[in-house]
Amino acid sequence: MSDLQPAPTVQGSVSRRRFLKVTGGAVAGSSLLTMLDARQAPAQIRGTTLRILTWSHFIPAYDVWFDKFSAEWGEKNGVKVRVDHIPHLEIPARMAAEFAAGTGHDIILNNSTILARLYYKSLLDLTDVYDGLGKKYGGWIPAAKSPIEVEGRIYGIPMYYILLPMLWRKDLFEASGLKPPDTWELARVAARTLKPKGNPTGIAFSHCNDANLNWRSLMFSFGAVETDPSGDHPAFDSKEMREALRFAKALFDEGMTPEVFSWDDASDNRFLASGIASWIHDAISAYRTTESTNPSVFKNTFVANEPAGPGGKRVSVSAPIVFLAWKFSKNPQATKEYLSYLVDNDKEGMIQSTGYNMPFLNDNAKKPMPIIGADPKLQVLQDFPKIVAFFGYPGPYTPQIQEVANLFVLPDIFTKVARGTSVDDAVKWGVGEYRRIFAKHKRA
Amino acid sequence: MTVLPVGDGAESATRAATQPAARGRSTRAWWHTNTGRRLTFGYLLLAPAALYVLLLVGIPFLFSLYLALSDANVGDPVARFVGLENFRAAWEMDTFRDALRNSIVFLVVAAIFKSLLGTSLAFLLLQNFKGKKLVRALVVIPFTLPISVSVLSWKWMYDSQFSVINWGLHKAGLIGAYGSESWPIWLGQPHLALLACIGVNVWRSFPFSAIVLLAGFTSVPNEVLDAARVDGCSFFQRFRHVVTPMIFPILIIGFLFDTVFTLSDLSVVYLLTQGGPGSATMILPVLAYQIGIQAGSLGRGAAIALMLVPLLFLALFLMLRNLKRRD
Repeated sequence: MSDLQPAPTVQGSVSRRRFLKVTGGAVAGSSLLTMLDARQAPAQIRGTTLRILTWSHFIPAYDVWFDKFSAEWGEKNGVKVRVDHIPHLEIPARMAAEFAAGTGHDIILNNSTILARLYYKSLLDLTDVYDGLGKKYGGWIPAAKSPIEVEGRIYGIPMYYILLPMLWRKDLFEASGLKPPDTWELARVAARTLKPKGNPTGIAFSHCNDANLNWRSLMFSFGAVETDPSGDHPAFDSKEMREALRFAKALFDEGMTPEVFSWDDASDNRFLASGIASWIHDAISAYRTTESTNPSVFKNTFVANEPAGPGGKRVSVSAPIVFLAWKFSKNPQATKEYLSYLVDNDKEGMIQSTGYNMPFLNDNAKKPMPIIGADPKLQVLQDFPKIVAFFGYPGPYTPQIQEVANLFVLPDIFTKVARGTSVDDAVKWGVGEYRRIFAKHKRA
Repeated sequence: MTVLPVGDGAESATRAATQPAARGRSTRAWWHTNTGRRLTFGYLLLAPAALYVLLLVGIPFLFSLYLALSDANVGDPVARFVGLENFRAAWEMDTFRDALRNSIVFLVVAAIFKSLLGTSLAFLLLQNFKGKKLVRALVVIPFTLPISVSVLSWKWMYDSQFSVINWGLHKAGLIGAYGSESWPIWLGQPHLALLACIGVNVWRSFPFSAIVLLAGFTSVPNEVLDAARVDGCSFFQRFRHVVTPMIFPILIIGFLFDTVFTLSDLSVVYLLTQGGPGSATMILPVLAYQIGIQAGSLGRGAAIALMLVPLLFLALFLMLRNLKRRD
């Protein structure tokens, strides 16, 4: 037996093979880092093609900028860049098709449905790019790694996340002597007061992404968690979760109308723009839309910090947007170079998205941020990077959590309670669904 | 049985001399016979269709069967055999049982409405009136419009706040104003939501039923109908005892197509409600898509999708058996 084992190496001695391996790796790594730092693309990428699959941004002007930006980068570096935009809900199916075919785009955007952990064996390891950018821009915000880290390696570059803050009608609140909705309790009091006056509130109790995001913000702010820190076990069966569910039931009964059961992601935008809503908890696209569709409502709509739960905790669950790259990409070097350059221009992206894109990098998240730092109504959004979380909190964003989100299990627990199922029964049902999904992934 | 001698050269020569005569009498090559030529030609004509079905239906079906019996997921090409585990696990899901029930309700209710509306429309199109060609062209529009476009239009019509249907009902005095108890939330109330999805499916598909029926009606000879009329048959008697038996094969084929289209229709529910509220409108294709593609569990998704197969086979068996009996 012992004959088959390699001879023990003496510490300090270096074999020729090991020397070549280490120095070769170091030279290649430092060259890449130097090139990334100097923003000079390597000559090898000239004459290549880079194909990017991205979503259709809610701010169309951002897409125009993105396409132009990518084309210009391509011209500068002699790379033919092709950008395809598709609705973000179609991206998982497209990724599955490209994976099966073993060919397709070099870079693929994931929005909300982050598939890094599902495909990581077939994704390009972007740890060097991630670390390099982190070092350059003061590190990444704490939540950044959650959707893209697998076994200590990084398989995606976080680009931005989309916040869903509280958008409230200051005129209606003031007319009824209500305090701004700084806590969930104050928001409930406002809803209870303003609904009888024709201004209910609304959070979607339906199968849409807003429902997935908003109810998690509420439950996490109430102190509930979704999984344990390892992400291996669901952990929401708790006193805090029950409290959050009871609160949601009261909020629905006192302050909402049944239309929230039918809402999609854009319904609350329309609800606010119609002038009826007293407050909504939604992305600032709702605020921006109102600017053009109903200026008087826009004038009186203000943005608040994430409401605090009973213990004063604030957690804002956001939709992350990350770029992944296939391992079978024919152009990994150009992929890394492009992604680095894109993150270097993060601030320009924030400007083009009119403050919709929130930065993952600490230096870019410093006050004042572009656009939102200059708008008194939006300045509060600059405090969000500290409280941002994603699905699965405090655990990572795992494939099992992704499946839970795809099946809208959590919004369904809240929906059941709102429709009259007892809190205990709804939690019991939810625990069963979570366990089934987690058990399947554990076996796999 | 004659055994040909095997041995030396003389014997072989004898055999060579006797064999052609024997073959000529009884064992002429099968493909040289008239029947052989006819059958070969027939099979050759059939081959492209058979190949098409094998490649584009048979192989994917077998592949999905393989996936359903494995723990395959979208990111891992290597899958383990898990037997019927995916089917068992799916059956244990409340959502799956809701989806199965909704799929059957969807199929049956949609079929009833499509039959009624399709038959009425087909009779209407049989009549001679001014602008008949234009009407014929218009009625197929729902069937030809891209489904995403038409369903999004319906989504607006079912909007909880700006629904044109509710606006019309309100103007007609049938319901109260927005926010009142009687204001229907089409996609938010469980039964209404399922009905709303069925409504869109019916709207989209009943022109197809009408066209199939129209083709059947026009194939019935006028002499037969005239004879029935002379014999004193009423309209409904003629329809039941003359027209229906004569177009029964067409009806069955149309019904079969419609069953397959309805049971496998993913778009309407996915675009309108994504199966919500709760699992009120969840149907098997949507659940299979959400689990198999969006969440990446190909094995489980394939198992859920394959649960449709027994339903389809049952429908197919009943219909074809009925057709055979009538033949």
